[in-house]
Amino acid sequence: MKGKRTGFVILEYSLIALVCLICLFPIIWIVLISLKPVTESMMGLSAIIPRGLTLDNYKRVVELIPNLPINFFNNVFVSLVGTVTTLFFCSLAGFAFAKYEFPGRNFLYLFLLATMMIPQETGVIPLFIIFRNMGLINSLWGLIIPRLATAVGIFYMTEYMRDVPYEIMEAARMDGCSEFMIYARIVCPIIKPGLASWAMLTMIARWNDFFWPLILLRNSKKYTLMVAISLLPSSDGLSTPWPTIMAGVSIAVFPVVIAYLIIQRFQVINVAAGAVKG
Amino acid sequence: MNRQSKIRTWIKKYKTPYLFISPFFILFLLFQLIPMVQSFCYSFTDYDGMHTPEFIGLKNYINLFKGGNYAFWDSLGNTVIYWIACSIFIILFAFGIALLLNRDKLKGRAFIKTATFLPYVCASIAIALVFNMLFDYNSGLINDILSRLGFGKIGWLTTSKFARVPVIILFCWRSIPWYSIIILSGLLNIPADYYEAATIDGGNRIQKFAYITLPLMKNVLFFCLITTTSDTWKMFNESYILKGPAYSNATLFQYMHENAFKLFDLGYAAAIGYILAMVMIVISAVQFVFRRRQGDNY
Repeated sequence: MKGKRTGFVILEYSLIALVCLICLFPIIWIVLISLKPVTESMMGLSAIIPRGLTLDNYKRVVELIPNLPINFFNNVFVSLVGTVTTLFFCSLAGFAFAKYEFPGRNFLYLFLLATMMIPQETGVIPLFIIFRNMGLINSLWGLIIPRLATAVGIFYMTEYMRDVPYEIMEAARMDGCSEFMIYARIVCPIIKPGLASWAMLTMIARWNDFFWPLILLRNSKKYTLMVAISLLPSSDGLSTPWPTIMAGVSIAVFPVVIAYLIIQRFQVINVAAGAVKG
Repeated sequence: MNRQSKIRTWIKKYKTPYLFISPFFILFLLFQLIPMVQSFCYSFTDYDGMHTPEFIGLKNYINLFKGGNYAFWDSLGNTVIYWIACSIFIILFAFGIALLLNRDKLKGRAFIKTATFLPYVCASIAIALVFNMLFDYNSGLINDILSRLGFGKIGWLTTSKFARVPVIILFCWRSIPWYSIIILSGLLNIPADYYEAATIDGGNRIQKFAYITLPLMKNVLFFCLITTTSDTWKMFNESYILKGPAYSNATLFQYMHENAFKLFDLGYAAAIGYILAMVMIVISAVQFVFRRRQGDNY
Protein backbone atom coordinates (compact mmCIF):
# COMPACT_ATOMS: atom_id res chain seq x y z
CA MET A 1 0.00 0.00 0.00
CA LYS A 2 2.78 2.40 0.97
CA GLY A 3 4.76 1.54 -2.15
CA LYS A 4 1.77 2.18 -4.36
CA ARG A 5 1.34 5.59 -2.80
CA THR A 6 4.99 6.57 -3.32
CA GLY A 7 4.75 5.40 -6.90
CA PHE A 8 1.75 7.62 -7.39
CA VAL A 9 3.56 10.64 -5.97
CA ILE A 10 6.56 10.01 -8.23
CA LEU A 11 4.23 9.77 -11.22
CA GLU A 12 2.54 13.04 -10.25
CA TYR A 13 5.81 14.90 -9.84
CA SER A 14 7.16 13.60 -13.12
CA LEU A 15 4.01 14.83 -14.84
CA ILE A 16 4.43 18.22 -13.18
CA ALA A 17 8.05 18.34 -14.31
CA LEU A 18 6.99 17.50 -17.85
CA VAL A 19 4.37 20.26 -17.81
CA CYS A 20 6.94 22.78 -16.55
CA LEU A 21 9.37 21.72 -19.26
CA ILE A 22 6.76 22.14 -21.99
CA CYS A 23 5.85 25.55 -20.62
CA LEU A 24 9.43 26.77 -20.42
CA PHE A 25 10.83 25.15 -23.54
CA PRO A 26 10.01 27.83 -26.16
CA ILE A 27 11.29 30.52 -23.82
CA ILE A 28 14.61 28.73 -23.27
CA TRP A 29 14.77 28.12 -27.01
CA ILE A 30 14.44 31.85 -27.75
CA VAL A 31 17.35 32.68 -25.43
CA LEU A 32 19.62 29.95 -26.77
CA ILE A 33 19.03 30.67 -30.44
CA SER A 34 19.18 34.44 -30.12
CA LEU A 35 22.69 34.17 -28.65
CA LYS A 36 24.06 31.93 -31.40
CA PRO A 37 26.25 33.22 -34.20
CA VAL A 38 24.37 33.17 -37.52
CA THR A 39 27.08 31.06 -39.07
CA GLU A 40 26.23 28.07 -36.87
CA SER A 41 23.95 25.25 -37.86
CA MET A 42 20.28 25.78 -37.14
CA MET A 43 19.42 22.20 -37.95
CA GLY A 44 16.96 20.56 -35.60
CA LEU A 45 18.32 19.27 -32.32
CA SER A 46 21.86 20.42 -32.95
CA ALA A 47 20.64 24.02 -32.80
CA ILE A 48 20.25 23.74 -29.03
CA ILE A 49 23.92 23.10 -28.26
CA PRO A 50 25.55 26.47 -27.66
CA ARG A 51 29.06 26.83 -29.02
CA GLY A 52 29.85 30.48 -29.43
CA LEU A 53 27.80 33.10 -27.65
CA THR A 54 27.25 36.47 -29.27
CA LEU A 55 25.09 39.55 -28.98
CA ASP A 56 25.46 40.34 -32.69
CA ASN A 57 21.92 39.20 -33.42
CA TYR A 58 20.55 42.00 -31.30
CA LYS A 59 22.57 44.51 -33.31
CA ARG A 60 21.39 42.91 -36.52
CA VAL A 61 17.71 43.01 -35.57
CA VAL A 62 17.99 46.77 -35.01
CA GLU A 63 19.48 47.05 -38.48
CA LEU A 64 16.61 44.99 -39.85
CA ILE A 65 13.97 47.05 -38.03
CA PRO A 66 15.44 50.57 -37.89
CA ASN A 67 12.58 51.91 -35.79
CA LEU A 68 12.84 49.20 -33.16
CA PRO A 69 13.66 51.58 -30.24
CA ILE A 70 10.66 53.75 -31.15
CA ASN A 71 8.48 50.66 -31.54
CA PHE A 72 9.61 49.50 -28.13
CA PHE A 73 8.76 52.85 -26.59
CA ASN A 74 5.33 52.77 -28.30
CA ASN A 75 4.67 49.40 -26.73
CA VAL A 76 5.66 50.64 -23.27
CA PHE A 77 3.49 53.73 -23.68
CA VAL A 78 0.41 51.85 -24.86
CA SER A 79 0.75 49.19 -22.16
CA LEU A 80 1.36 51.54 -19.25
CA VAL A 81 -1.12 54.28 -20.12
CA GLY A 82 -3.66 51.71 -21.29
CA THR A 83 -3.39 49.71 -18.07
CA VAL A 84 -3.56 52.66 -15.68
CA THR A 85 -6.53 54.28 -17.38
CA THR A 86 -8.52 51.09 -17.83
CA LEU A 87 -7.86 50.14 -14.22
CA PHE A 88 -9.28 53.45 -13.07
CA PHE A 89 -12.44 53.39 -15.18
CA CYS A 90 -13.15 49.69 -14.63
CA SER A 91 -12.75 49.85 -10.88
CA LEU A 92 -14.89 53.00 -10.70
CA ALA A 93 -17.70 51.28 -12.60
CA GLY A 94 -17.21 48.10 -10.61
CA PHE A 95 -17.52 50.12 -7.43
CA ALA A 96 -20.84 51.56 -8.61
CA PHE A 97 -22.23 48.17 -9.62
CA ALA A 98 -21.14 46.46 -6.43
CA LYS A 99 -21.83 49.08 -3.79
CA TYR A 100 -24.72 51.30 -4.93
CA GLU A 101 -28.42 50.72 -5.27
CA PHE A 102 -29.83 52.45 -8.31
CA PRO A 103 -32.70 51.86 -10.72
CA GLY A 104 -31.79 49.52 -13.56
CA ARG A 105 -28.64 48.27 -11.90
CA ASN A 106 -29.25 44.58 -12.46
CA PHE A 107 -30.41 45.13 -16.01
CA LEU A 108 -27.39 47.26 -16.87
CA TYR A 109 -25.06 44.72 -15.30
CA LEU A 110 -26.58 41.84 -17.28
CA PHE A 111 -26.41 43.98 -20.38
CA LEU A 112 -22.73 44.58 -19.71
CA LEU A 113 -22.13 40.85 -19.32
CA ALA A 114 -24.01 40.17 -22.54
CA THR A 115 -21.80 42.59 -24.49
CA MET A 116 -18.86 40.31 -23.73
CA MET A 117 -20.36 37.73 -26.09
CA ILE A 118 -19.89 39.88 -29.16
CA PRO A 119 -16.25 40.75 -29.67
CA GLN A 120 -15.48 44.31 -30.60
CA GLU A 121 -13.38 43.04 -33.48
CA THR A 122 -16.44 42.10 -35.54
CA GLY A 123 -17.18 45.80 -36.03
CA VAL A 124 -13.64 46.53 -37.12
CA ILE A 125 -14.51 47.92 -40.55
CA PRO A 126 -16.78 50.79 -39.51
CA LEU A 127 -14.50 51.29 -36.51
CA PHE A 128 -11.60 51.82 -38.87
CA ILE A 129 -13.60 54.43 -40.76
CA ILE A 130 -14.71 56.13 -37.54
CA PHE A 131 -11.08 56.24 -36.43
CA ARG A 132 -10.03 57.65 -39.77
CA ASN A 133 -12.60 60.40 -39.41
CA MET A 134 -11.48 61.12 -35.86
CA GLY A 135 -7.82 61.25 -36.92
CA LEU A 136 -6.94 58.32 -34.69
CA ILE A 137 -5.23 56.27 -37.39
CA ASN A 138 -1.51 56.16 -36.65
CA SER A 139 -2.19 57.45 -33.18
CA LEU A 140 -1.38 55.38 -30.12
CA TRP A 141 -4.44 56.87 -28.43
CA GLY A 142 -6.56 54.92 -30.87
CA LEU A 143 -5.42 51.79 -29.05
CA ILE A 144 -6.14 53.26 -25.63
CA ILE A 145 -9.40 55.21 -25.84
CA PRO A 146 -11.84 52.49 -27.02
CA ARG A 147 -10.70 50.21 -24.23
CA LEU A 148 -10.72 52.68 -21.36
CA ALA A 149 -13.55 50.74 -19.75
CA THR A 150 -14.02 47.12 -20.77
CA ALA A 151 -16.89 44.84 -19.86
CA VAL A 152 -14.66 42.06 -18.62
CA GLY A 153 -12.65 44.45 -16.46
CA ILE A 154 -15.79 45.88 -14.90
CA PHE A 155 -17.10 42.37 -14.30
CA TYR A 156 -13.88 41.40 -12.56
CA MET A 157 -13.82 44.55 -10.44
CA THR A 158 -17.50 44.27 -9.49
CA GLU A 159 -17.10 40.71 -8.26
CA TYR A 160 -14.00 41.73 -6.34
CA MET A 161 -15.69 44.75 -4.71
CA ARG A 162 -18.71 42.82 -3.47
CA ASP A 163 -16.79 41.74 -0.39
CA VAL A 164 -15.96 45.28 0.73
CA PRO A 165 -18.09 45.88 3.86
CA TYR A 166 -20.74 48.62 3.67
CA GLU A 167 -19.98 49.71 7.24
CA ILE A 168 -16.61 51.19 6.28
CA MET A 169 -18.25 53.22 3.53
CA GLU A 170 -21.03 54.41 5.84
CA ALA A 171 -18.51 55.48 8.46
CA ALA A 172 -16.58 57.48 5.86
CA ARG A 173 -19.82 59.07 4.63
CA MET A 174 -20.63 60.14 8.19
CA ASP A 175 -17.27 61.83 8.37
CA GLY A 176 -18.23 63.89 5.32
CA CYS A 177 -16.17 62.01 2.77
CA SER A 178 -17.31 62.55 -0.83
CA GLU A 179 -18.33 59.50 -2.87
CA PHE A 180 -15.26 59.73 -5.06
CA MET A 181 -13.04 60.00 -2.00
CA ILE A 182 -14.67 56.90 -0.55
CA TYR A 183 -13.68 55.12 -3.75
CA ALA A 184 -10.17 56.51 -3.87
CA ARG A 185 -9.21 56.50 -0.20
CA ILE A 186 -11.26 53.71 1.35
CA VAL A 187 -12.21 51.13 -1.26
CA CYS A 188 -9.17 51.11 -3.54
CA PRO A 189 -6.68 50.34 -0.75
CA ILE A 190 -8.87 47.41 0.36
CA ILE A 191 -9.03 45.88 -3.10
CA LYS A 192 -5.35 46.41 -3.87
CA PRO A 193 -4.74 42.70 -4.59
CA GLY A 194 -7.62 42.67 -7.07
CA LEU A 195 -6.36 45.85 -8.72
CA ALA A 196 -2.84 44.47 -8.92
CA SER A 197 -3.83 41.19 -10.50
CA TRP A 198 -6.14 42.86 -12.99
CA ALA A 199 -3.38 45.37 -13.78
CA MET A 200 -1.00 42.53 -14.53
CA LEU A 201 -3.48 40.75 -16.78
CA THR A 202 -4.33 43.95 -18.65
CA MET A 203 -0.66 44.74 -19.03
CA ILE A 204 0.02 41.31 -20.52
CA ALA A 205 -2.90 41.67 -22.94
CA ARG A 206 -1.94 45.17 -24.01
CA TRP A 207 1.73 44.43 -24.41
CA ASN A 208 0.93 41.42 -26.59
CA ASP A 209 -1.89 43.07 -28.53
CA PHE A 210 -1.52 42.55 -32.26
CA PHE A 211 -4.81 42.83 -34.12
CA TRP A 212 -5.65 46.44 -33.27
CA PRO A 213 -2.13 47.83 -33.78
CA LEU A 214 -2.00 45.99 -37.11
CA ILE A 215 -5.21 47.66 -38.23
CA LEU A 216 -4.72 51.13 -36.82
CA LEU A 217 -1.01 51.79 -37.15
CA ARG A 218 0.03 52.26 -40.74
CA ASN A 219 3.39 53.99 -40.31
CA SER A 220 6.51 52.08 -39.29
CA LYS A 221 7.43 54.74 -36.73
CA LYS A 222 4.08 54.20 -35.02
CA TYR A 223 4.20 50.41 -34.98
CA THR A 224 4.19 48.59 -31.73
CA LEU A 225 6.73 45.82 -31.18
CA MET A 226 4.36 43.04 -32.18
CA VAL A 227 3.64 44.59 -35.57
CA ALA A 228 7.33 45.28 -36.09
CA ILE A 229 8.43 41.71 -35.37
CA SER A 230 5.57 40.22 -37.36
CA LEU A 231 7.19 41.75 -40.44
CA LEU A 232 10.45 39.88 -39.90
CA PRO A 233 11.14 37.50 -42.81
CA SER A 234 10.39 34.27 -41.01
CA SER A 235 9.51 31.72 -43.67
CA ASP A 236 12.20 31.74 -46.33
CA GLY A 237 13.22 28.17 -45.70
CA LEU A 238 16.91 27.58 -45.08
CA SER A 239 18.00 31.14 -45.66
CA THR A 240 15.88 32.47 -42.78
CA PRO A 241 18.06 34.39 -40.31
CA TRP A 242 16.60 32.58 -37.31
CA PRO A 243 19.00 33.91 -34.64
CA THR A 244 18.18 37.47 -35.68
CA ILE A 245 14.47 36.75 -35.58
CA MET A 246 14.81 35.14 -32.15
CA ALA A 247 16.61 38.26 -30.96
CA GLY A 248 13.60 40.30 -32.08
CA VAL A 249 11.28 37.83 -30.42
CA SER A 250 13.17 38.02 -27.15
CA ILE A 251 12.88 41.83 -27.15
CA ALA A 252 9.13 41.39 -27.53
CA VAL A 253 8.77 38.66 -24.91
CA PHE A 254 11.19 39.36 -22.10
CA PRO A 255 10.13 42.79 -20.81
CA VAL A 256 6.69 41.49 -19.91
CA VAL A 257 8.04 38.18 -18.62
CA ILE A 258 10.41 40.07 -16.31
CA ALA A 259 7.61 42.39 -15.19
CA TYR A 260 5.50 39.33 -14.45
CA LEU A 261 8.29 37.65 -12.46
CA ILE A 262 8.80 40.78 -10.36
CA ILE A 263 5.11 41.28 -9.60
CA GLN A 264 4.68 37.55 -9.01
CA ARG A 265 7.11 37.82 -6.11
CA PHE A 266 4.60 39.97 -4.27
CA GLN A 267 2.11 37.12 -4.53
CA VAL A 268 -0.60 39.37 -5.86
CA ILE A 269 -1.58 37.35 -8.89
CA ASN A 270 -4.66 35.53 -7.93
CA VAL A 271 -6.34 35.80 -11.24
CA ALA A 272 -9.57 34.05 -10.64
CA ALA A 273 -10.16 34.88 -7.00
CA GLY A 274 -12.87 37.42 -7.65
CA ALA A 275 -13.96 36.41 -11.09
CA VAL A 276 -15.18 32.88 -10.64
CA LYS A 277 -17.12 31.73 -7.68
CA GLY A 278 -17.67 28.08 -8.40
CA MET B 1 -43.21 67.95 -3.19
CA ASN B 2 -43.63 69.08 -6.78
CA ARG B 3 -42.41 67.19 -9.79
CA GLN B 4 -39.33 69.27 -10.45
CA SER B 5 -37.92 68.90 -6.98
CA LYS B 6 -38.72 65.21 -7.10
CA ILE B 7 -36.55 64.89 -10.20
CA ARG B 8 -33.89 66.96 -8.52
CA THR B 9 -33.71 64.73 -5.46
CA TRP B 10 -33.73 61.66 -7.73
CA ILE B 11 -30.77 63.01 -9.66
CA LYS B 12 -28.99 63.95 -6.47
CA LYS B 13 -29.53 60.48 -5.04
CA TYR B 14 -28.42 58.45 -8.03
CA LYS B 15 -26.07 60.67 -9.99
CA THR B 16 -22.88 59.18 -8.53
CA PRO B 17 -23.35 55.55 -9.61
CA TYR B 18 -24.60 56.57 -13.05
CA LEU B 19 -21.63 58.85 -13.46
CA PHE B 20 -19.27 56.07 -12.44
CA ILE B 21 -20.67 53.54 -14.89
CA SER B 22 -21.20 56.00 -17.74
CA PRO B 23 -17.74 55.71 -19.37
CA PHE B 24 -18.37 52.09 -20.31
CA PHE B 25 -21.75 52.79 -21.84
CA ILE B 26 -20.50 55.80 -23.78
CA LEU B 27 -17.57 53.82 -25.14
CA PHE B 28 -19.85 50.89 -25.89
CA LEU B 29 -22.18 53.13 -27.86
CA LEU B 30 -19.38 54.84 -29.79
CA PHE B 31 -17.03 51.96 -30.47
CA GLN B 32 -19.26 48.93 -30.45
CA LEU B 33 -22.96 49.55 -30.98
CA ILE B 34 -22.68 52.21 -33.69
CA PRO B 35 -20.01 50.22 -35.58
CA MET B 36 -22.19 47.11 -35.33
CA VAL B 37 -25.13 48.94 -36.89
CA GLN B 38 -22.94 50.53 -39.55
CA SER B 39 -21.34 47.20 -40.26
CA PHE B 40 -24.80 45.76 -40.82
CA CYS B 41 -25.51 48.49 -43.37
CA TYR B 42 -22.14 48.09 -45.11
CA SER B 43 -22.74 44.37 -45.49
CA PHE B 44 -25.44 45.15 -48.08
CA THR B 45 -23.21 47.46 -50.09
CA ASP B 46 -20.29 47.49 -52.44
CA TYR B 47 -17.78 49.71 -50.65
CA ASP B 48 -14.05 50.28 -51.09
CA GLY B 49 -13.56 52.76 -48.25
CA MET B 50 -13.15 55.74 -50.60
CA HIS B 51 -16.26 56.11 -52.78
CA THR B 52 -19.82 56.19 -51.52
CA PRO B 53 -21.16 52.74 -50.67
CA GLU B 54 -23.45 51.35 -53.32
CA PHE B 55 -26.46 49.27 -52.24
CA ILE B 56 -26.35 45.78 -53.73
CA GLY B 57 -28.82 43.90 -51.56
CA LEU B 58 -27.87 40.42 -50.42
CA LYS B 59 -25.16 39.99 -53.04
CA ASN B 60 -22.28 39.90 -50.53
CA TYR B 61 -23.96 37.14 -48.57
CA ILE B 62 -24.86 35.22 -51.71
CA ASN B 63 -21.26 35.47 -52.92
CA LEU B 64 -20.05 34.24 -49.57
CA PHE B 65 -22.16 31.12 -49.44
CA LYS B 66 -21.74 30.28 -53.12
CA GLY B 67 -20.53 26.73 -53.61
CA GLY B 68 -17.26 27.58 -55.30
CA ASN B 69 -16.10 30.08 -52.69
CA TYR B 70 -13.43 27.81 -51.21
CA ALA B 71 -11.68 30.63 -49.37
CA PHE B 72 -14.77 31.23 -47.26
CA TRP B 73 -15.71 27.59 -46.72
CA ASP B 74 -12.13 26.63 -45.87
CA SER B 75 -11.71 29.40 -43.34
CA LEU B 76 -15.12 28.68 -41.83
CA GLY B 77 -14.27 24.98 -41.60
CA ASN B 78 -10.90 25.74 -40.03
CA THR B 79 -12.50 28.01 -37.47
CA VAL B 80 -14.97 25.29 -36.50
CA ILE B 81 -12.11 22.77 -36.21
CA TYR B 82 -10.11 25.20 -34.06
CA TRP B 83 -13.14 25.85 -31.88
CA ILE B 84 -13.85 22.18 -31.19
CA ALA B 85 -10.25 20.95 -30.98
CA CYS B 86 -8.98 23.81 -28.86
CA SER B 87 -11.95 23.74 -26.48
CA ILE B 88 -11.50 20.02 -25.86
CA PHE B 89 -7.72 20.11 -25.46
CA ILE B 90 -7.67 23.28 -23.37
CA ILE B 91 -10.32 22.16 -20.89
CA LEU B 92 -8.94 18.62 -20.66
CA PHE B 93 -5.32 19.63 -20.12
CA ALA B 94 -6.14 22.63 -17.94
CA PHE B 95 -8.24 20.39 -15.71
CA GLY B 96 -5.43 17.84 -15.57
CA ILE B 97 -2.84 20.44 -14.63
CA ALA B 98 -5.15 21.99 -12.05
CA LEU B 99 -5.66 18.57 -10.45
CA LEU B 100 -1.89 18.02 -10.37
CA LEU B 101 -1.28 21.38 -8.72
CA ASN B 102 -4.13 20.99 -6.25
CA ARG B 103 -2.31 19.23 -3.45
CA ASP B 104 -1.72 20.36 0.08
CA LYS B 105 2.00 19.77 0.12
CA LEU B 106 3.28 20.67 -3.30
CA LYS B 107 7.06 20.92 -3.28
CA GLY B 108 8.35 23.93 -5.19
CA ARG B 109 4.89 25.46 -5.44
CA ALA B 110 6.12 29.00 -6.19
CA PHE B 111 8.36 27.85 -9.03
CA ILE B 112 5.78 25.51 -10.52
CA LYS B 113 3.02 28.10 -10.45
CA THR B 114 5.24 30.74 -12.03
CA ALA B 115 6.54 28.37 -14.69
CA THR B 116 3.14 27.03 -15.66
CA PHE B 117 1.71 30.53 -16.05
CA LEU B 118 4.56 31.82 -18.24
CA PRO B 119 3.11 30.75 -21.63
CA TYR B 120 0.17 33.06 -21.04
CA VAL B 121 2.56 35.98 -20.53
CA CYS B 122 4.32 35.46 -23.85
CA ALA B 123 2.98 37.17 -26.95
CA SER B 124 1.31 34.80 -29.41
CA ILE B 125 3.00 36.64 -32.28
CA ALA B 126 6.44 36.07 -30.79
CA ILE B 127 5.84 32.41 -29.99
CA ALA B 128 4.31 31.89 -33.43
CA LEU B 129 7.66 32.96 -34.88
CA VAL B 130 9.35 30.40 -32.63
CA PHE B 131 6.89 27.77 -33.85
CA ASN B 132 7.71 28.72 -37.44
CA MET B 133 11.25 27.71 -36.65
CA LEU B 134 10.36 24.56 -34.69
CA PHE B 135 7.95 23.30 -37.35
CA ASP B 136 10.13 24.17 -40.34
CA TYR B 137 10.18 21.32 -42.86
CA ASN B 138 13.93 21.01 -43.39
CA SER B 139 15.57 22.41 -40.30
CA GLY B 140 12.84 22.34 -37.68
CA LEU B 141 13.29 20.62 -34.34
CA ILE B 142 10.05 18.64 -34.61
CA ASN B 143 10.91 17.07 -37.95
CA ASP B 144 14.45 16.39 -36.78
CA ILE B 145 13.15 14.47 -33.76
CA LEU B 146 10.63 12.63 -35.93
CA SER B 147 13.26 11.52 -38.42
CA ARG B 148 15.65 10.49 -35.65
CA LEU B 149 12.85 8.31 -34.25
CA GLY B 150 12.49 6.74 -37.66
CA PHE B 151 9.34 8.50 -38.83
CA GLY B 152 9.24 10.53 -41.99
CA LYS B 153 9.32 14.31 -42.03
CA ILE B 154 5.97 16.04 -42.02
CA GLY B 155 5.24 19.20 -43.97
CA TRP B 156 3.65 20.99 -41.04
CA LEU B 157 3.27 24.35 -42.68
CA THR B 158 3.79 23.34 -46.28
CA THR B 159 0.92 20.88 -46.74
CA SER B 160 -2.70 21.74 -46.22
CA LYS B 161 -3.31 18.48 -44.36
CA PHE B 162 -1.16 19.33 -41.35
CA ALA B 163 -1.13 23.13 -41.40
CA ARG B 164 -3.73 23.39 -38.64
CA VAL B 165 -1.73 21.32 -36.16
CA PRO B 166 0.88 23.95 -35.20
CA VAL B 167 -1.86 26.56 -34.89
CA ILE B 168 -3.86 24.37 -32.51
CA ILE B 169 -0.76 23.50 -30.45
CA LEU B 170 0.26 27.14 -30.18
CA PHE B 171 -3.20 28.31 -29.20
CA CYS B 172 -3.55 25.60 -26.56
CA TRP B 173 -0.03 26.12 -25.23
CA ARG B 174 -0.75 29.79 -24.63
CA SER B 175 -4.28 29.36 -23.26
CA ILE B 176 -4.02 26.35 -20.97
CA PRO B 177 -2.21 28.22 -18.13
CA TRP B 178 -5.01 30.73 -17.87
CA TYR B 179 -7.72 28.08 -17.75
CA SER B 180 -5.82 25.89 -15.33
CA ILE B 181 -5.65 28.81 -12.88
CA ILE B 182 -9.40 29.38 -13.18
CA ILE B 183 -10.10 25.66 -12.70
CA LEU B 184 -7.63 25.45 -9.83
CA SER B 185 -9.35 28.27 -7.99
CA GLY B 186 -12.64 26.43 -8.52
CA LEU B 187 -11.10 23.28 -7.05
CA LEU B 188 -9.87 25.20 -4.02
CA ASN B 189 -13.44 26.37 -3.37
CA ILE B 190 -14.66 22.80 -2.83
CA PRO B 191 -14.89 22.25 0.94
CA ALA B 192 -12.43 19.63 2.18
CA ASP B 193 -15.10 17.97 4.38
CA TYR B 194 -16.85 16.64 1.27
CA TYR B 195 -13.80 14.57 0.46
CA GLU B 196 -13.32 13.56 4.10
CA ALA B 197 -16.91 12.34 4.29
CA ALA B 198 -16.39 10.36 1.09
CA THR B 199 -13.20 8.82 2.48
CA ILE B 200 -15.08 7.68 5.58
CA ASP B 201 -17.73 6.10 3.35
CA GLY B 202 -14.96 4.23 1.57
CA GLY B 203 -14.94 6.18 -1.69
CA ASN B 204 -11.86 5.85 -3.87
CA ARG B 205 -10.13 8.57 -5.91
CA ILE B 206 -12.13 7.97 -9.04
CA GLN B 207 -15.46 7.95 -7.21
CA LYS B 208 -14.56 11.16 -5.40
CA PHE B 209 -13.69 12.77 -8.69
CA ALA B 210 -16.88 11.62 -10.42
CA TYR B 211 -19.33 12.33 -7.60
CA ILE B 212 -17.81 15.37 -5.88
CA THR B 213 -15.32 17.20 -8.05
CA LEU B 214 -17.05 17.06 -11.43
CA PRO B 215 -20.57 18.07 -10.33
CA LEU B 216 -19.22 20.95 -8.25
CA MET B 217 -17.00 22.14 -11.08
CA LYS B 218 -19.84 22.32 -13.60
CA ASN B 219 -20.20 26.10 -13.38
CA VAL B 220 -16.50 26.73 -13.72
CA LEU B 221 -16.21 24.38 -16.69
CA PHE B 222 -19.17 26.06 -18.32
CA PHE B 223 -17.49 29.42 -17.86
CA CYS B 224 -14.34 27.97 -19.48
CA LEU B 225 -16.33 26.61 -22.41
CA ILE B 226 -17.92 29.98 -23.10
CA THR B 227 -14.57 31.71 -22.97
CA THR B 228 -12.81 29.21 -25.23
CA THR B 229 -15.69 29.56 -27.68
CA SER B 230 -15.41 33.30 -28.00
CA ASP B 231 -11.60 33.16 -28.03
CA THR B 232 -11.36 30.57 -30.79
CA TRP B 233 -13.94 32.18 -33.06
CA LYS B 234 -11.92 35.36 -33.09
CA MET B 235 -8.58 33.61 -33.49
CA PHE B 236 -6.26 35.61 -35.71
CA ASN B 237 -2.66 36.00 -34.53
CA GLU B 238 -1.67 32.34 -34.53
CA SER B 239 -2.66 31.50 -38.08
CA TYR B 240 -1.58 34.92 -39.36
CA ILE B 241 2.06 34.13 -38.56
CA LEU B 242 1.94 30.33 -38.93
CA LYS B 243 0.79 30.62 -42.50
CA GLY B 244 -0.03 27.42 -44.36
CA PRO B 245 -0.61 27.05 -48.09
CA ALA B 246 -3.53 29.16 -49.41
CA TYR B 247 -6.44 29.03 -46.94
CA SER B 248 -5.48 25.68 -45.43
CA ASN B 249 -5.27 27.02 -41.88
CA ALA B 250 -6.74 30.52 -42.14
CA THR B 251 -9.53 31.54 -39.78
CA LEU B 252 -12.72 33.36 -40.67
CA PHE B 253 -11.38 36.39 -38.91
CA GLN B 254 -8.26 36.34 -41.03
CA TYR B 255 -10.41 36.06 -44.14
CA MET B 256 -12.33 39.13 -43.03
CA HIS B 257 -9.12 41.03 -42.36
CA GLU B 258 -7.74 40.13 -45.75
CA ASN B 259 -10.85 41.28 -47.60
CA ALA B 260 -11.10 44.50 -45.63
CA PHE B 261 -7.52 45.67 -45.39
CA LYS B 262 -5.74 44.04 -48.30
CA LEU B 263 -8.44 43.80 -50.97
CA PHE B 264 -10.46 46.77 -49.69
CA ASP B 265 -13.74 45.00 -50.32
CA LEU B 266 -15.28 46.45 -47.18
CA GLY B 267 -18.89 45.50 -47.87
CA TYR B 268 -17.96 41.86 -48.38
CA ALA B 269 -15.73 41.92 -45.28
CA ALA B 270 -18.54 43.45 -43.22
CA ALA B 271 -20.75 40.55 -44.27
CA ILE B 272 -18.12 38.11 -43.00
CA GLY B 273 -17.94 40.08 -39.75
CA TYR B 274 -21.68 39.78 -39.40
CA ILE B 275 -21.67 36.07 -39.91
CA LEU B 276 -19.00 35.82 -37.22
CA ALA B 277 -21.04 37.91 -34.82
CA MET B 278 -24.20 35.91 -35.55
CA VAL B 279 -22.46 32.59 -35.01
CA MET B 280 -21.11 33.76 -31.68
CA ILE B 281 -24.48 35.07 -30.53
CA VAL B 282 -26.19 31.83 -31.50
CA ILE B 283 -23.54 29.64 -29.87
CA SER B 284 -23.62 31.54 -26.61
CA ALA B 285 -27.43 31.64 -26.60
CA VAL B 286 -27.57 27.87 -27.16
CA GLN B 287 -25.06 27.32 -24.39
CA PHE B 288 -27.06 29.43 -21.97
CA VAL B 289 -30.37 27.77 -22.84
CA PHE B 290 -28.80 24.34 -22.51
CA ARG B 291 -27.47 25.39 -19.13
CA ARG B 292 -30.81 26.71 -17.89
CA ARG B 293 -32.50 23.53 -18.97
CA GLN B 294 -30.23 21.59 -16.68
CA GLY B 295 -31.81 23.43 -13.79
CA ASP B 296 -28.84 25.47 -12.66
CA ASN B 297 -29.08 29.18 -12.49
CA TYR B 298 -25.91 30.69 -13.74
